[in-house]
Amino acid sequence: MLSTEEKERTNAWFVRISHEISAAWAISRKDMVTYYIKPNIIVSGILFPVFMFLAFAIGKNAPPGTLIPGLIAITLLFSASSIEPVSIPIERRVKTFDRLLSAPISLHSLVFGESVSGFLYSMGIACLPLVIGIVMFSTSIEHVLALIIAMALTAFCFATLGTLFAAYPTENVGEVMSMLNTVRLPLIFISGVFIPISQIPQIGQIIALFSPLTYGNDMISYAYTGTSLFSPVWDIVALLIFILIFQFVAHRLYKKFNE
Amino acid sequence: MHAIEVSHLTKKFGALTALNDVNFSVERGETFGFLGPNGAGKTTTIRTLTGISNPTSGTASIFGHDIQKDTIAARQSMGIVSETSNVYDDLTAWQNMIFSAELYHVRRDIREEKAKELLTTFDLYERRHDKAHGFSKGLKRRLTIAMGLVNNPQVLFLDEPTSGLDVQSNLIIREVITGLIHEGVTVFLTTHNIEEANMICDRVAIINKGTLAAIDAPERLKKTIQSVQSIVVSFDHVSLDQLDEVRNLSMVNDAVKEGDKFRLYTEDPATVIESVMEYAKARSLRVISISTLGPSLEDVFIKLTGLQRTGGLIHAID
Repeated sequence: MLSTEEKERTNAWFVRISHEISAAWAISRKDMVTYYIKPNIIVSGILFPVFMFLAFAIGKNAPPGTLIPGLIAITLLFSASSIEPVSIPIERRVKTFDRLLSAPISLHSLVFGESVSGFLYSMGIACLPLVIGIVMFSTSIEHVLALIIAMALTAFCFATLGTLFAAYPTENVGEVMSMLNTVRLPLIFISGVFIPISQIPQIGQIIALFSPLTYGNDMISYAYTGTSLFSPVWDIVALLIFILIFQFVAHRLYKKFNE
Repeated sequence: MHAIEVSHLTKKFGALTALNDVNFSVERGETFGFLGPNGAGKTTTIRTLTGISNPTSGTASIFGHDIQKDTIAARQSMGIVSETSNVYDDLTAWQNMIFSAELYHVRRDIREEKAKELLTTFDLYERRHDKAHGFSKGLKRRLTIAMGLVNNPQVLFLDEPTSGLDVQSNLIIREVITGLIHEGVTVFLTTHNIEEANMICDRVAIINKGTLAAIDAPERLKKTIQSVQSIVVSFDHVSLDQLDEVRNLSMVNDAVKEGDKFRLYTEDPATVIESVMEYAKARSLRVISISTLGPSLEDVFIKLTGLQRTGGLIHAID
Protein backbone atom coordinates (compact mmCIF):
# COMPACT_ATOMS: atom_id res chain seq x y z
CA MET A 1 0.00 0.00 0.00
CA LEU A 2 1.25 3.48 -0.85
CA SER A 3 1.47 6.03 1.95
CA THR A 4 -0.42 9.34 1.55
CA GLU A 5 2.82 11.11 0.78
CA GLU A 6 3.73 8.58 -1.90
CA LYS A 7 0.26 8.85 -3.41
CA GLU A 8 0.55 12.64 -3.55
CA ARG A 9 3.98 12.36 -5.15
CA THR A 10 2.66 9.88 -7.73
CA ASN A 11 -0.33 12.13 -8.48
CA ALA A 12 1.92 15.15 -8.85
CA TRP A 13 4.09 13.18 -11.24
CA PHE A 14 1.08 12.19 -13.36
CA VAL A 15 -0.16 15.79 -13.40
CA ARG A 16 3.27 16.99 -14.49
CA ILE A 17 3.51 14.40 -17.30
CA SER A 18 0.02 15.26 -18.47
CA HIS A 19 0.92 18.99 -18.49
CA GLU A 20 4.08 18.32 -20.47
CA ILE A 21 2.29 16.18 -23.07
CA SER A 22 -0.51 18.68 -23.44
CA ALA A 23 1.93 21.60 -23.87
CA ALA A 24 4.02 19.63 -26.40
CA TRP A 25 0.84 18.86 -28.35
CA ALA A 26 -0.17 22.53 -28.23
CA ILE A 27 3.22 23.46 -29.74
CA SER A 28 2.76 20.87 -32.49
CA ARG A 29 -0.73 22.12 -33.34
CA LYS A 30 0.48 25.70 -33.39
CA ASP A 31 3.16 24.70 -35.92
CA MET A 32 0.60 22.84 -38.05
CA VAL A 33 -1.69 25.86 -38.29
CA THR A 34 1.14 28.33 -38.76
CA TYR A 35 3.77 26.67 -40.93
CA TYR A 36 2.46 23.68 -42.91
CA ILE A 37 1.55 25.76 -45.93
CA LYS A 38 4.46 28.22 -45.85
CA PRO A 39 6.00 28.38 -49.36
CA ASN A 40 9.54 27.51 -48.26
CA ILE A 41 8.28 24.42 -46.44
CA ILE A 42 6.33 23.29 -49.51
CA VAL A 43 9.43 23.76 -51.69
CA SER A 44 11.81 22.07 -49.27
CA GLY A 45 9.49 19.36 -48.00
CA ILE A 46 7.51 18.38 -51.10
CA LEU A 47 8.96 19.68 -54.35
CA PHE A 48 12.60 19.08 -53.48
CA PRO A 49 12.27 15.30 -52.89
CA VAL A 50 9.99 14.90 -55.93
CA PHE A 51 12.47 16.56 -58.31
CA MET A 52 15.41 14.83 -56.66
CA PHE A 53 13.65 11.52 -57.22
CA LEU A 54 12.73 12.29 -60.82
CA ALA A 55 16.32 13.28 -61.56
CA PHE A 56 17.46 9.79 -60.61
CA ALA A 57 14.43 7.77 -61.72
CA ILE A 58 14.17 9.12 -65.28
CA GLY A 59 16.40 7.09 -67.51
CA LYS A 60 16.78 4.32 -64.98
CA ASN A 61 15.66 1.08 -66.57
CA ALA A 62 13.43 -0.13 -63.76
CA PRO A 63 9.67 -0.53 -63.40
CA PRO A 64 8.28 2.65 -61.74
CA GLY A 65 6.62 0.62 -58.99
CA THR A 66 9.98 -0.64 -57.72
CA LEU A 67 11.11 2.94 -57.15
CA ILE A 68 8.24 3.78 -54.79
CA PRO A 69 10.02 2.64 -51.55
CA GLY A 70 12.95 4.95 -52.34
CA LEU A 71 10.59 7.84 -53.08
CA ILE A 72 8.82 7.27 -49.76
CA ALA A 73 12.18 7.21 -47.93
CA ILE A 74 13.46 10.51 -49.35
CA THR A 75 10.05 12.15 -48.98
CA LEU A 76 10.17 11.25 -45.30
CA LEU A 77 13.71 12.61 -45.04
CA PHE A 78 13.00 15.98 -46.65
CA SER A 79 9.49 16.66 -45.39
CA ALA A 80 10.10 15.65 -41.77
CA SER A 81 13.27 17.70 -41.45
CA SER A 82 11.88 20.84 -43.13
CA ILE A 83 9.38 22.23 -40.61
CA GLU A 84 11.55 23.24 -37.63
CA PRO A 85 14.50 24.67 -39.62
CA VAL A 86 11.94 27.09 -41.07
CA SER A 87 9.68 27.70 -38.08
CA ILE A 88 12.25 28.13 -35.31
CA PRO A 89 14.47 30.79 -36.96
CA ILE A 90 11.30 32.70 -37.90
CA GLU A 91 10.08 32.46 -34.30
CA ARG A 92 13.45 33.66 -33.05
CA ARG A 93 13.18 36.69 -35.32
CA VAL A 94 9.68 37.65 -34.19
CA LYS A 95 10.50 36.69 -30.57
CA THR A 96 7.69 34.14 -30.24
CA PHE A 97 10.34 31.50 -29.51
CA ASP A 98 11.03 33.32 -26.22
CA ARG A 99 7.41 32.58 -25.34
CA LEU A 100 8.14 28.85 -25.62
CA LEU A 101 11.46 29.10 -23.80
CA SER A 102 9.90 30.94 -20.86
CA ALA A 103 6.81 28.72 -20.53
CA PRO A 104 6.48 26.36 -17.56
CA ILE A 105 7.44 23.30 -19.60
CA SER A 106 10.65 21.31 -19.83
CA LEU A 107 13.00 21.74 -22.76
CA HIS A 108 12.38 18.05 -23.55
CA SER A 109 8.70 18.80 -24.16
CA LEU A 110 9.62 21.74 -26.35
CA VAL A 111 11.97 19.60 -28.47
CA PHE A 112 9.43 16.75 -28.56
CA GLY A 113 6.52 19.04 -29.48
CA GLU A 114 8.49 20.67 -32.27
CA SER A 115 9.52 17.23 -33.58
CA VAL A 116 5.93 15.93 -33.56
CA SER A 117 4.81 18.66 -35.97
CA GLY A 118 7.53 17.63 -38.46
CA PHE A 119 6.61 13.97 -37.92
CA LEU A 120 2.90 14.45 -38.67
CA TYR A 121 3.60 16.64 -41.69
CA SER A 122 5.96 14.03 -43.07
CA MET A 123 3.56 11.14 -42.49
CA GLY A 124 0.87 13.02 -44.40
CA ILE A 125 3.15 13.93 -47.29
CA ALA A 126 4.67 10.43 -47.55
CA CYS A 127 1.18 9.00 -48.06
CA LEU A 128 1.17 10.61 -51.53
CA PRO A 129 3.87 8.34 -53.09
CA LEU A 130 2.34 5.44 -51.17
CA VAL A 131 -1.08 6.02 -52.74
CA ILE A 132 0.43 6.80 -56.16
CA GLY A 133 2.28 3.48 -56.02
CA ILE A 134 -0.87 1.55 -55.18
CA VAL A 135 -3.26 3.35 -57.55
CA MET A 136 -1.04 4.00 -60.59
CA PHE A 137 1.47 1.16 -60.51
CA SER A 138 -0.43 -1.50 -58.54
CA THR A 139 2.53 -1.75 -56.17
CA SER A 140 1.85 -4.41 -53.57
CA ILE A 141 2.88 -4.19 -49.94
CA GLU A 142 4.01 -7.45 -48.34
CA HIS A 143 4.14 -6.27 -44.71
CA VAL A 144 1.77 -3.40 -43.97
CA LEU A 145 2.62 -3.21 -40.27
CA ALA A 146 6.35 -3.08 -41.05
CA LEU A 147 5.69 -0.23 -43.49
CA ILE A 148 3.73 1.77 -40.90
CA ILE A 149 6.44 1.25 -38.27
CA ALA A 150 9.23 2.08 -40.73
CA MET A 151 7.51 5.26 -41.92
CA ALA A 152 6.68 6.41 -38.40
CA LEU A 153 10.18 5.84 -37.01
CA THR A 154 11.91 7.34 -40.06
CA ALA A 155 9.63 10.39 -39.99
CA PHE A 156 10.17 10.99 -36.29
CA CYS A 157 13.91 10.45 -36.60
CA PHE A 158 14.27 13.09 -39.34
CA ALA A 159 11.81 15.46 -37.64
CA THR A 160 14.12 15.34 -34.62
CA LEU A 161 17.13 15.90 -36.89
CA GLY A 162 15.42 19.05 -38.23
CA THR A 163 14.69 20.23 -34.69
CA LEU A 164 18.34 19.58 -33.78
CA PHE A 165 19.68 21.71 -36.64
CA ALA A 166 17.17 24.45 -35.83
CA ALA A 167 18.87 24.79 -32.41
CA TYR A 168 21.61 26.78 -34.15
CA PRO A 169 21.03 30.29 -32.80
CA THR A 170 20.17 32.19 -35.94
CA GLU A 171 17.16 34.13 -37.16
CA ASN A 172 18.01 33.25 -40.77
CA VAL A 173 16.16 30.25 -42.25
CA GLY A 174 18.73 29.98 -45.07
CA GLU A 175 21.59 29.42 -42.64
CA VAL A 176 19.91 26.44 -40.99
CA MET A 177 18.76 24.99 -44.33
CA SER A 178 22.28 25.24 -45.77
CA MET A 179 23.75 23.36 -42.83
CA LEU A 180 20.98 20.79 -42.93
CA ASN A 181 21.40 20.17 -46.67
CA THR A 182 25.10 19.43 -46.22
CA VAL A 183 23.91 16.43 -44.21
CA ARG A 184 20.65 15.56 -45.98
CA LEU A 185 21.97 15.44 -49.55
CA PRO A 186 24.90 13.05 -48.94
CA LEU A 187 22.56 10.76 -47.00
CA ILE A 188 20.59 10.04 -50.18
CA PHE A 189 23.68 8.68 -51.93
CA ILE A 190 25.07 6.53 -49.16
CA SER A 191 21.87 5.04 -47.76
CA GLY A 192 20.85 2.68 -50.54
CA VAL A 193 17.96 4.80 -51.82
CA PHE A 194 19.09 4.97 -55.44
CA ILE A 195 22.17 2.74 -55.45
CA PRO A 196 22.03 -0.50 -53.43
CA ILE A 197 24.47 -0.40 -50.53
CA SER A 198 26.14 -3.60 -51.82
CA GLN A 199 27.11 -1.71 -54.99
CA ILE A 200 28.79 1.29 -53.39
CA PRO A 201 32.51 1.32 -52.43
CA GLN A 202 33.49 -0.27 -49.10
CA ILE A 203 34.13 3.09 -47.42
CA GLY A 204 30.62 4.12 -48.46
CA GLN A 205 29.22 0.91 -47.00
CA ILE A 206 30.85 1.71 -43.65
CA ILE A 207 29.54 5.29 -43.70
CA ALA A 208 26.06 3.94 -44.57
CA LEU A 209 25.93 2.25 -41.18
CA PHE A 210 25.91 5.69 -39.54
CA SER A 211 23.00 6.97 -41.64
CA PRO A 212 19.49 6.65 -40.20
CA LEU A 213 18.14 6.73 -43.76
CA THR A 214 19.90 3.39 -44.38
CA TYR A 215 17.71 1.69 -41.81
CA GLY A 216 14.51 3.54 -42.72
CA ASN A 217 14.95 2.77 -46.41
CA ASP A 218 15.92 -0.85 -45.64
CA MET A 219 12.77 -1.45 -43.61
CA ILE A 220 10.52 0.24 -46.17
CA SER A 221 12.06 -1.98 -48.86
CA TYR A 222 11.41 -4.98 -46.62
CA ALA A 223 7.76 -3.95 -46.26
CA TYR A 224 7.40 -3.87 -50.06
CA THR A 225 9.59 -6.76 -51.19
CA GLY A 226 10.04 -8.97 -48.14
CA THR A 227 13.82 -8.76 -48.51
CA SER A 228 16.25 -6.44 -46.73
CA LEU A 229 19.90 -5.92 -45.88
CA PHE A 230 19.34 -5.94 -42.13
CA SER A 231 16.66 -7.65 -40.11
CA PRO A 232 13.58 -5.44 -39.47
CA VAL A 233 14.21 -5.71 -35.74
CA TRP A 234 17.70 -4.28 -36.17
CA ASP A 235 16.31 -1.50 -38.40
CA ILE A 236 13.83 -0.59 -35.64
CA VAL A 237 16.50 -0.66 -32.93
CA ALA A 238 18.88 1.44 -35.03
CA LEU A 239 16.18 4.05 -35.76
CA LEU A 240 15.21 4.21 -32.08
CA ILE A 241 18.87 4.74 -31.13
CA PHE A 242 19.17 7.58 -33.67
CA ILE A 243 15.96 9.17 -32.34
CA LEU A 244 17.24 9.06 -28.77
CA ILE A 245 20.63 10.48 -29.75
CA PHE A 246 19.06 13.29 -31.81
CA GLN A 247 16.57 14.16 -29.04
CA PHE A 248 19.34 14.22 -26.45
CA VAL A 249 21.71 16.32 -28.58
CA ALA A 250 18.89 18.69 -29.58
CA HIS A 251 18.00 19.20 -25.90
CA ARG A 252 21.64 19.91 -25.03
CA LEU A 253 22.05 22.34 -27.92
CA TYR A 254 18.91 24.33 -27.08
CA LYS A 255 20.10 24.55 -23.50
CA LYS A 256 23.61 25.60 -24.47
CA PHE A 257 22.63 28.15 -27.11
CA ASN A 258 20.08 29.82 -24.84
CA GLU A 259 22.67 30.55 -22.22
CA MET B 1 8.93 34.91 1.54
CA HIS B 2 9.91 37.43 -1.13
CA ALA B 3 8.13 37.41 -4.46
CA ILE B 4 11.46 37.86 -6.22
CA GLU B 5 14.86 37.41 -4.60
CA VAL B 6 18.07 38.02 -6.48
CA SER B 7 21.40 37.25 -4.87
CA HIS B 8 24.85 38.06 -6.29
CA LEU B 9 23.59 37.67 -9.85
CA THR B 10 26.33 37.92 -12.45
CA LYS B 11 25.99 37.30 -16.16
CA LYS B 12 28.93 37.38 -18.55
CA PHE B 13 28.92 37.12 -22.32
CA GLY B 14 32.57 36.39 -23.06
CA ALA B 15 34.55 39.40 -21.87
CA LEU B 16 31.40 41.51 -21.41
CA THR B 17 29.86 41.60 -17.95
CA ALA B 18 26.17 42.25 -18.54
CA LEU B 19 25.20 41.90 -14.86
CA ASN B 20 27.69 42.45 -12.09
CA ASP B 21 26.83 41.07 -8.64
CA VAL B 22 23.24 42.31 -8.65
CA ASN B 23 21.28 41.94 -5.39
CA PHE B 24 17.69 42.93 -4.67
CA SER B 25 14.39 41.55 -3.50
CA VAL B 26 10.79 42.39 -4.34
CA GLU B 27 8.02 41.93 -1.80
CA ARG B 28 4.73 40.22 -2.54
CA GLY B 29 2.29 42.78 -3.97
CA GLU B 30 5.01 45.34 -4.62
CA THR B 31 5.30 47.28 -7.87
CA PHE B 32 8.98 47.40 -8.67
CA GLY B 33 10.44 49.56 -11.43
CA PHE B 34 13.68 48.59 -13.12
CA LEU B 35 15.21 51.53 -14.95
CA GLY B 36 18.38 51.97 -16.92
CA PRO B 37 19.75 53.24 -20.21
CA ASN B 38 19.83 50.97 -23.28
CA GLY B 39 22.33 48.15 -22.77
CA ALA B 40 22.38 48.62 -18.99
CA GLY B 41 21.27 45.03 -18.27
CA LYS B 42 17.48 45.34 -17.91
CA THR B 43 16.56 42.72 -20.50
CA THR B 44 19.35 40.40 -19.33
CA THR B 45 17.91 40.64 -15.81
CA ILE B 46 14.41 39.76 -17.02
CA ARG B 47 15.71 36.89 -19.17
CA THR B 48 17.58 35.54 -16.15
CA LEU B 49 14.66 35.97 -13.75
CA THR B 50 12.34 34.17 -16.17
CA GLY B 51 14.79 31.30 -16.71
CA ILE B 52 15.36 31.93 -20.41
CA SER B 53 19.02 32.61 -19.73
CA ASN B 54 21.20 31.09 -17.01
CA PRO B 55 23.34 33.33 -14.81
CA THR B 56 27.11 32.92 -14.79
CA SER B 57 26.92 32.97 -10.98
CA GLY B 58 24.44 33.91 -8.28
CA THR B 59 20.84 32.88 -7.76
CA ALA B 60 17.34 34.14 -8.40
CA SER B 61 14.11 32.78 -6.99
CA ILE B 62 10.41 33.42 -7.53
CA PHE B 63 8.25 32.81 -4.45
CA GLY B 64 11.04 30.62 -3.05
CA HIS B 65 11.47 28.53 -6.21
CA ASP B 66 15.01 28.73 -7.54
CA ILE B 67 14.73 29.68 -11.21
CA GLN B 68 17.52 27.30 -12.22
CA LYS B 69 16.75 24.31 -10.02
CA ASP B 70 12.96 24.55 -9.83
CA THR B 71 12.34 26.33 -13.12
CA ILE B 72 8.89 25.04 -13.93
CA ALA B 73 7.39 25.78 -10.50
CA ALA B 74 8.94 29.26 -10.60
CA ARG B 75 7.53 29.96 -14.06
CA GLN B 76 4.09 28.67 -13.20
CA SER B 77 3.41 31.75 -11.07
CA MET B 78 4.75 34.22 -13.65
CA GLY B 79 3.22 36.26 -16.40
CA ILE B 80 5.73 37.53 -18.93
CA VAL B 81 5.16 40.43 -21.30
CA SER B 82 8.27 40.96 -23.38
CA GLU B 83 9.33 44.23 -24.98
CA THR B 84 8.39 42.94 -28.44
CA SER B 85 4.73 42.13 -28.98
CA ASN B 86 5.44 38.47 -29.61
CA VAL B 87 2.07 37.21 -30.76
CA TYR B 88 1.63 34.62 -33.51
CA ASP B 89 0.64 36.62 -36.59
CA ASP B 90 -0.86 33.62 -38.36
CA LEU B 91 -3.12 32.74 -35.44
CA THR B 92 -6.30 34.60 -34.52
CA ALA B 93 -6.49 36.55 -31.27
CA TRP B 94 -8.56 33.70 -29.83
CA GLN B 95 -6.07 31.02 -30.95
CA ASN B 96 -3.21 33.05 -29.45
CA MET B 97 -5.02 33.20 -26.11
CA ILE B 98 -5.86 29.49 -26.08
CA PHE B 99 -2.31 28.54 -27.06
CA SER B 100 -0.92 30.65 -24.24
CA ALA B 101 -3.39 29.06 -21.81
CA GLU B 102 -2.32 25.59 -22.93
CA LEU B 103 1.37 26.43 -22.46
CA TYR B 104 0.60 27.60 -18.90
CA HIS B 105 -1.53 24.53 -18.12
CA VAL B 106 -4.72 26.52 -17.54
CA ARG B 107 -7.47 23.98 -16.93
CA ARG B 108 -9.45 23.07 -20.03
CA ASP B 109 -12.80 24.02 -18.44
CA ILE B 110 -11.72 27.59 -17.65
CA ARG B 111 -9.47 28.32 -20.65
CA GLU B 112 -12.20 29.72 -22.85
CA GLU B 113 -13.81 31.66 -20.03
CA LYS B 114 -10.46 33.27 -19.17
CA ALA B 115 -9.68 34.03 -22.82
CA LYS B 116 -13.08 35.69 -23.24
CA GLU B 117 -12.66 37.72 -20.03
CA LEU B 118 -9.22 39.03 -21.00
CA LEU B 119 -10.07 39.78 -24.62
CA THR B 120 -13.08 41.73 -23.38
CA THR B 121 -10.96 43.62 -20.83
CA PHE B 122 -8.52 44.63 -23.55
CA ASP B 123 -11.33 45.54 -25.96
CA LEU B 124 -10.33 42.78 -28.38
CA TYR B 125 -13.25 40.38 -28.11
CA GLU B 126 -14.95 41.69 -31.25
CA ARG B 127 -11.71 41.01 -33.15
CA ARG B 128 -11.17 37.53 -31.67
CA HIS B 129 -11.52 35.73 -35.00
CA ASP B 130 -9.09 38.08 -36.80
CA LYS B 131 -5.52 36.97 -37.39
CA ALA B 132 -3.01 39.03 -35.44
CA HIS B 133 -1.06 40.07 -38.55
CA GLY B 134 -3.83 42.55 -39.33
CA PHE B 135 -3.60 44.17 -35.90
CA SER B 136 -2.11 47.60 -35.25
CA LYS B 137 0.86 48.00 -32.89
CA GLY B 138 -1.49 48.94 -30.04
CA LEU B 139 -3.81 45.96 -30.60
CA LYS B 140 -0.85 43.55 -30.72
CA ARG B 141 0.48 45.04 -27.48
CA ARG B 142 -2.88 44.58 -25.80
CA LEU B 143 -3.05 40.97 -27.02
CA THR B 144 0.51 40.33 -25.75
CA ILE B 145 -0.43 41.57 -22.29
CA ALA B 146 -3.68 39.59 -22.32
CA MET B 147 -1.66 36.45 -23.15
CA GLY B 148 0.66 37.22 -20.23
CA LEU B 149 -2.28 37.29 -17.82
CA VAL B 150 -4.00 34.10 -18.93
CA ASN B 151 -2.64 32.05 -15.99
CA ASN B 152 -3.57 34.61 -13.30
CA PRO B 153 0.11 35.26 -12.50
CA GLN B 154 1.22 36.19 -9.00
CA VAL B 155 4.17 38.06 -10.43
CA LEU B 156 4.03 39.90 -13.72
CA PHE B 157 7.13 40.87 -15.69
CA LEU B 158 6.34 43.84 -17.89
CA ASP B 159 9.04 44.97 -20.31
CA GLU B 160 8.23 48.41 -21.72
CA PRO B 161 4.46 47.84 -21.68
CA THR B 162 3.33 51.18 -23.09
CA SER B 163 6.24 52.25 -25.26
CA GLY B 164 5.15 54.05 -28.44
CA LEU B 165 1.45 53.19 -28.22
CA ASP B 166 -1.70 55.07 -29.18
CA VAL B 167 -3.64 56.87 -26.46
CA GLN B 168 -6.46 54.31 -26.26
CA SER B 169 -4.11 51.34 -25.88
CA ASN B 170 -2.07 53.27 -23.32
CA LEU B 171 -5.16 54.03 -21.25
CA ILE B 172 -6.43 50.45 -21.35
CA ILE B 173 -3.04 48.99 -20.43
CA ARG B 174 -2.43 51.46 -17.58
CA GLU B 175 -5.92 50.78 -16.23
CA VAL B 176 -5.31 47.02 -16.29
CA ILE B 177 -1.90 47.38 -14.61
CA THR B 178 -3.40 49.58 -11.90
CA GLY B 179 -6.14 46.98 -11.38
CA LEU B 180 -3.56 44.20 -11.05
CA ILE B 181 -1.62 46.24 -8.50
CA HIS B 182 -4.79 46.71 -6.46
CA GLU B 183 -5.42 42.96 -6.64
CA GLY B 184 -2.01 42.38 -5.04
CA VAL B 185 -0.14 41.09 -8.09
CA THR B 186 3.60 41.71 -7.84
CA VAL B 187 4.69 43.77 -10.85
CA PHE B 188 8.25 43.94 -12.14
CA LEU B 189 8.30 46.80 -14.62
CA THR B 190 11.05 47.95 -16.93
CA THR B 191 10.35 51.17 -18.74
CA HIS B 192 11.98 54.12 -20.42
CA ASN B 193 9.05 56.21 -19.27
CA ILE B 194 10.48 57.41 -15.97
CA GLU B 195 7.33 59.36 -15.12
CA GLU B 196 5.32 56.17 -15.50
CA ALA B 197 7.64 54.42 -13.02
CA ASN B 198 7.42 57.41 -10.69
CA MET B 199 3.63 57.27 -10.75
CA ILE B 200 3.04 53.54 -10.20
CA CYS B 201 6.12 52.00 -8.58
CA ASP B 202 6.55 51.44 -4.86
CA ARG B 203 10.30 51.19 -5.40
CA VAL B 204 12.62 51.55 -8.34
CA ALA B 205 16.07 50.20 -9.05
CA ILE B 206 18.40 52.01 -11.41
CA ILE B 207 20.88 49.82 -13.22
CA ASN B 208 23.83 51.11 -15.21
CA LYS B 209 26.48 49.08 -17.02
CA GLY B 210 25.30 45.92 -15.28
CA THR B 211 25.59 47.33 -11.76
CA LEU B 212 22.76 48.54 -9.54
CA ALA B 213 23.31 52.25 -8.97
CA ALA B 214 20.39 52.79 -6.58
CA ILE B 215 17.33 51.07 -5.23
CA ASP B 216 14.68 52.83 -3.18
CA ALA B 217 11.24 54.46 -3.22
CA PRO B 218 11.01 57.22 -5.87
CA GLU B 219 10.49 59.99 -3.31
CA ARG B 220 13.44 58.87 -1.20
CA LEU B 221 15.64 58.71 -4.29
CA LYS B 222 14.67 62.27 -5.17
CA LYS B 223 15.71 63.44 -1.70
CA THR B 224 19.22 62.11 -2.29
CA ILE B 225 19.77 64.79 -4.93
CA GLN B 226 18.13 67.86 -3.47
CA SER B 227 20.96 69.84 -5.08
CA VAL B 228 19.21 69.27 -8.41
CA GLN B 229 16.28 71.67 -7.97
CA SER B 230 14.94 73.73 -10.79
CA ILE B 231 13.02 76.89 -11.65
CA VAL B 232 10.58 76.78 -14.55
CA VAL B 233 9.95 80.20 -16.01
CA SER B 234 7.93 81.43 -18.96
CA PHE B 235 8.25 84.91 -20.51
CA ASP B 236 5.80 86.71 -22.78
CA HIS B 237 8.38 86.39 -25.54
CA VAL B 238 10.56 83.28 -25.74
CA SER B 239 13.38 82.68 -28.20
CA LEU B 240 16.23 80.20 -28.38
CA ASP B 241 18.76 83.05 -28.08
CA GLN B 242 17.63 83.58 -24.50
CA LEU B 243 18.78 80.08 -23.55
CA ASP B 244 22.47 81.00 -23.30
CA GLU B 245 21.59 84.19 -21.43
CA VAL B 246 19.53 82.45 -18.73
CA ARG B 247 22.13 79.70 -18.50
CA ASN B 248 24.67 82.36 -17.52
CA LEU B 249 22.53 83.82 -14.75
CA SER B 250 23.93 83.70 -11.24
CA MET B 251 23.73 80.26 -9.51
CA VAL B 252 22.26 78.53 -12.60
CA ASN B 253 24.02 75.21 -13.20
CA ASP B 254 22.27 74.35 -16.42
CA ALA B 255 19.28 75.42 -18.48
CA VAL B 256 17.06 73.70 -21.02
CA LYS B 257 14.23 75.00 -23.16
CA GLU B 258 11.02 73.04 -22.60
CA GLY B 259 8.45 74.29 -25.10
CA ASP B 260 7.55 77.89 -24.22
CA LYS B 261 9.40 77.65 -20.90
CA PHE B 262 12.97 77.52 -19.64
CA ARG B 263 14.00 75.11 -16.92
CA LEU B 264 16.95 76.34 -14.88
CA TYR B 265 18.80 73.83 -12.68
CA THR B 266 20.21 75.21 -9.47
CA GLU B 267 21.17 74.49 -5.89
CA ASP B 268 19.85 77.90 -4.79
CA PRO B 269 16.32 78.55 -6.13
CA ALA B 270 15.85 81.83 -4.19
CA THR B 271 18.88 83.52 -5.79
CA VAL B 272 17.93 82.27 -9.26
CA ILE B 273 14.38 83.68 -8.91
CA GLU B 274 15.90 87.08 -8.10
CA SER B 275 18.27 86.80 -11.07
CA VAL B 276 15.42 85.83 -13.41
CA MET B 277 13.31 88.81 -12.34
CA GLU B 278 16.28 91.18 -12.85
CA TYR B 279 16.98 89.60 -16.25
CA ALA B 280 13.32 90.01 -17.29
CA LYS B 281 13.33 93.66 -16.22
CA ALA B 282 16.58 94.35 -18.07
CA ARG B 283 15.25 92.74 -21.30
CA SER B 284 11.77 94.27 -20.92
CA LEU B 285 10.23 90.79 -20.69
CA ARG B 286 7.11 89.98 -18.72
CA VAL B 287 7.21 86.85 -16.55
CA ILE B 288 4.06 84.83 -17.39
CA SER B 289 4.71 82.12 -14.82
CA ILE B 290 7.49 80.97 -12.52
CA SER B 291 7.62 77.91 -10.28
CA THR B 292 10.12 75.95 -8.25
CA LEU B 293 10.43 72.19 -8.81
CA GLY B 294 12.18 69.58 -6.71
CA PRO B 295 14.31 66.94 -8.42
CA SER B 296 12.37 64.49 -10.60
CA LEU B 297 13.00 60.78 -10.86
CA GLU B 298 14.44 61.56 -14.27
CA ASP B 299 17.00 63.83 -12.60
CA VAL B 300 17.95 61.00 -10.28
CA PHE B 301 18.22 58.67 -13.25
CA ILE B 302 20.41 61.09 -15.18
CA LYS B 303 22.68 61.71 -12.23
CA LEU B 304 23.12 58.04 -11.39
CA THR B 305 23.58 56.79 -14.93
CA GLY B 306 26.05 59.47 -15.94
CA LEU B 307 23.85 60.73 -18.76
CA GLN B 308 23.87 64.40 -19.70
CA ARG B 309 21.15 66.85 -20.76
CA THR B 310 21.75 68.87 -23.88
CA GLY B 311 19.02 71.16 -25.13
CA GLY B 312 16.26 69.15 -23.55
CA LEU B 313 17.58 65.82 -24.83
CA ILE B 314 19.52 63.26 -22.83
CA HIS B 315 22.85 61.99 -24.09
CA ALA B 316 25.22 59.38 -22.79
CA ILE B 317 28.58 60.57 -21.59
CA ASP B 318 31.36 58.54 -23.17
